[in-house]
Amino acid sequence: MTIAALDLQNVRRTYGRVVAVDNVSLTVAKGEFVTLLGPSGSGKTSTLRLVGGFDQLNGGSIRINGERIDHLPAYQRDTATIFQSGALFPHKTVAENVAFGLRMRKVDASETADRVKQYLGIVRLSGFADRFPAQLSGGQKQRVALARSLAVRPAILLFDEPLSALDLSLRLQLRAEIKNLHDQLQFSAIYVTHDQGEAMAMSSRVAVMRNGAIEQIDTPENIFHQPINEFVYTFIGESCCLAVRLGPQPTDGAGGRIDLSLQGDHAPGDARLYIRPSRLRFGPDAADLPNRLKARVEFVEFLGDMNRYHLRAAGLELFADHAGAAVHRAGDVVDVGWQSQDMRVFR
Amino acid sequence: MTGEDRAFTVARAAVIRRKRAAPWLLMLPALIIVLIFFGLPTLYMARMSFNLSEGSKLFTPGLSWANYQTVFSNEVFVGAIWTTLQLALMASAATLVIGYLFALLVWLKPAKWRLIFIGLALCPLLISEIAIIFGWWMFFPKNGLLSFALTSSGLISDKISLMYTEFAAFVGLVYLTLPFCFFILLSILDGIDKRMLEAAADLGASPLTIFREVLLPLTRNGMLVAFSQCFIFTMGTYATPSALGPDTLWTMGFLVQEQMLGRNNWPLASALSMVLVVLVAVMMVFTRALATRRATLHV
Repeated sequence: MTIAALDLQNVRRTYGRVVAVDNVSLTVAKGEFVTLLGPSGSGKTSTLRLVGGFDQLNGGSIRINGERIDHLPAYQRDTATIFQSGALFPHKTVAENVAFGLRMRKVDASETADRVKQYLGIVRLSGFADRFPAQLSGGQKQRVALARSLAVRPAILLFDEPLSALDLSLRLQLRAEIKNLHDQLQFSAIYVTHDQGEAMAMSSRVAVMRNGAIEQIDTPENIFHQPINEFVYTFIGESCCLAVRLGPQPTDGAGGRIDLSLQGDHAPGDARLYIRPSRLRFGPDAADLPNRLKARVEFVEFLGDMNRYHLRAAGLELFADHAGAAVHRAGDVVDVGWQSQDMRVFR
Repeated sequence: MTGEDRAFTVARAAVIRRKRAAPWLLMLPALIIVLIFFGLPTLYMARMSFNLSEGSKLFTPGLSWANYQTVFSNEVFVGAIWTTLQLALMASAATLVIGYLFALLVWLKPAKWRLIFIGLALCPLLISEIAIIFGWWMFFPKNGLLSFALTSSGLISDKISLMYTEFAAFVGLVYLTLPFCFFILLSILDGIDKRMLEAAADLGASPLTIFREVLLPLTRNGMLVAFSQCFIFTMGTYATPSALGPDTLWTMGFLVQEQMLGRNNWPLASALSMVLVVLVAVMMVFTRALATRRATLHV
């Protein structure tokens, strides 16, 4: 068996009575890109900071390339972090920033110069070596931060929400760049984000976290298609939640009658049905689908490529995306339908 | 150009004029106060320093370098200039080191401690200099708090008095200037992204290297400002060194006071004061010259 780049065993961190990281075990193989995904306060950044050595753990162990490092200070760990703020040294030029880690590691001068050139080239900032960080745009700063961390060739790269301070188009662009870099250089990495799009697009595996613990860790496809619980399901991708009371006469939970028919047997009682809005069909398309609900169009949002219909059936609210021209208007009562495999039922 | 265009050009010019005038208008109250309460008296003092002193009159109008010649040839005055410079430099340097460490501590500690520390640092500013001097009088003498603390803790066997020593004057000055230094440095530190320290550590820099490579360059200008503030303050202050130091500790402030009130020699007092003003100005120019000129230090 090959040695993992990073191995966390039962890592725990508490602040008083608050458990920030709750027995997290996680292995990152060499060349693997693992994302920690979760809402704020889920412990993903705390976990990352424990690996980087910016915080001390209360229990468990951290190994990098098989060697235990959780007793070492940050500067003796073979990690490199890309911070949300970039955290570039403002008094040093771009080249000096990238060279910093190499100087600290006593890499000789000619090798340092070569590597600075190489990694500035990799992040496409070759002409910017003599600029100061204040003269760069947000995206350029983050690319310098990336080069600075890559240049030391750490055993594991730690990304701490590096894109969340950037605007959308830049975020998408840099996301693709980081993915390309990973394909090229095959570095090992942990990437912390609350953006499921980033997690899905870049990762070898995604760990969905909640309340300091990992709920599910798997490939992006499996997380999306086979979420193990309601939390993971709702956190990944958009979904409509229908809180219903099933029975001979289904209601919206508060007693409002709804016209709902479902395929197969469902035990009577309260249930939450989840459907992806992109999988909902309505109007004539819904007629021969096995699951149907009658709903009224509340309003329509034009989203460019598609229209998003906000619908209501008694106390239930849902929305459905439909490509092409708007076919219904507010006030229309329509049939909404979906395939059984596109629905998840949680009770 | 149509009439309408012309009217708009005129209106636009008026807007631009008003925009240019705005900073001056905002500065005006402060400017007036500075001119009236600092500029005019300084000019008056400069003029006074060239007057003559004869007999029992406060001054005799005249135009002569005689007072400056006295200041730079009389051993007492030259000695006082050196003493004052030395004391101010030492006190400012000590204040800078202590203030830096204190500000660093407050900056690095969790926010919950911050208010307590800031409150402590503010305390000396809430008490008048005279009250503080009285405090030192309880602290330094043979039967004072310091002596008591040292003997009862067993560090020394005989009671000691540090009252009326140069050391006492030095400590008194440090105490006076520390809050200013602390707040200047804290405000500079607050402008630094703490993640930068983590980034440096992450890249392999030891705490000492982080201090040298990251903190020191980024706080350099703040340190120069803090140092020159302390220097200005300690050069001019008069009560503390006179009250805590030995009788032989003749600072420029003390001599100005003596010439002005004791000997009724206003021209000589003014000349001495002008030397003080020039020394402070030189220090300010000097520290400005040492400051990093780049305004791009903060990302």
